[in-house]
Amino acid sequence: MHIIDRYAYSNAIRGVDPAQKGGLALIAMLLCLALEQPAVGLLTLGWMFALATLWARVPARAFGRALLAEGPFLLLSLVGVALSVSLAPLAGPALRLGPFWIGSSPESLFLATRLFTRALGCAAALNFLILTTPLLDLIELLRRLRVPETLIDLMSLTYRAIAVLLESLQRMATAQDARLGYAGPWRALRSAGLLGSQLFLDAYRRSQRLQMALESRGLAGSLRVLPLAYRRDRRARWFGAALAASLLLAGAWR
Amino acid sequence: MTALLELEQLHYRFPGSAEPALRGASLRLETGQRVALLGRNGAGKSTLLLHANGLLRPSSGQVRVAGAPLVYTRRGLLAARRQVGLVFQNPDDQLFSASVAQDISFGPLNLGLDLAEARRRVAEAAALCEVDDLLDRPTHALSGGQKLRVALAGVLAMAPRVILADEVTSGLDPWMRRQVVAIFNRLVAQGVTVLLATHDLHVARRWADRVAVMDAGQVVAVAPSAEVFRDGELRRLIGADACMEG
Repeated sequence: MHIIDRYAYSNAIRGVDPAQKGGLALIAMLLCLALEQPAVGLLTLGWMFALATLWARVPARAFGRALLAEGPFLLLSLVGVALSVSLAPLAGPALRLGPFWIGSSPESLFLATRLFTRALGCAAALNFLILTTPLLDLIELLRRLRVPETLIDLMSLTYRAIAVLLESLQRMATAQDARLGYAGPWRALRSAGLLGSQLFLDAYRRSQRLQMALESRGLAGSLRVLPLAYRRDRRARWFGAALAASLLLAGAWR
Repeated sequence: MTALLELEQLHYRFPGSAEPALRGASLRLETGQRVALLGRNGAGKSTLLLHANGLLRPSSGQVRVAGAPLVYTRRGLLAARRQVGLVFQNPDDQLFSASVAQDISFGPLNLGLDLAEARRRVAEAAALCEVDDLLDRPTHALSGGQKLRVALAGVLAMAPRVILADEVTSGLDPWMRRQVVAIFNRLVAQGVTVLLATHDLHVARRWADRVAVMDAGQVVAVAPSAEVFRDGELRRLIGADACMEG
């Protein structure tokens, strides 16, 4: 989370309107989902990598690490699609493990490939968005799209609370560690449980103090704040057109 | 002359607590004063400040802002909070937005100001608190001292005539403390009254022109700081004898 946050705030297109960046990611995801060809997913990955590294100047390593973090989830779901397990012998090549037959077929392999490239393209598009756009700007985008205010307030408070509670968590864990709270697995488990309950209490007290602080500044039902200012980048439109055209081409090619 | 803020004979007991937190506390603040509120932990300093801002309602007694009794309705409270700003001890309890600029804009917008005026107020308050270069930074990337100054700017953007600050200088290094005190001085020069609840006897002695001393839910003395630091009984109550300072 820290890496993503760091680049989201420091990349070269931080000030570009989140609607433009979100639009690009949305085009990529929709076309990835709509078009069947595995090449579409791979091409999307290429596009998003290029946009993130060349346009937004996010280091290739950061983009790769974000994608690698998502990799295990993707692979796990692929195993279920590519392999079939049965008690009876399977048609085609299969491996016998005790009473089970584990096998695969060309169709399921093809299905898995398609799923993999599709998911990879979508993940890359989302990575491009979150590596270039702080959550703050995404919330601002939702606000402009007229998402109900209560949801917006909840999202922004949650985002802020994550940072505040992480700090509390680290402080408490250090205090426990200093008194050997994590020496040995059983003691560690007990300490972690205590930490969880204390963190809950801490969050509860904080919410009461926050309520008071907001009231003292004249809270009027919702958390009204100034809209943020962004610049629009002319290139975004060309990127969008080229992206859509190339993905459509790749999707139509057989 | 009517006082800017008057707390008269306030009584209050927290729900579920045996001891009352305030027992007839009274305090009067005039325009452009520098006041330090001293007293040991549990004397009722924070409770008194919460009353001055209308966050707590006394069981008896009265709060008057610029001569008018505080009315505990939406409008009445907003009118009082426009004049009396409260800065909390821990800025993390006060900052709710991940954007510095947006957080500061919260108060002005609640006053019903339009966007242009709110923007002007944000810029002005940020400049006064020396956080204008932080406006685009995320709140969680700030240091403790920066967070405190942003929290202060969020209150100043509402242009109150009285600032009540609860223990804000504790935990700051001497340089940061001096910076915060300098902000307070600029406010006082503009005619704002600043009341600082504190255990910091150094600040109370050097900075405040008046010192109010609380003990057991009452304000037992309000006097020029030199007098308070001379009086044996008051010295005992503010802990001047317990430390090397003074």
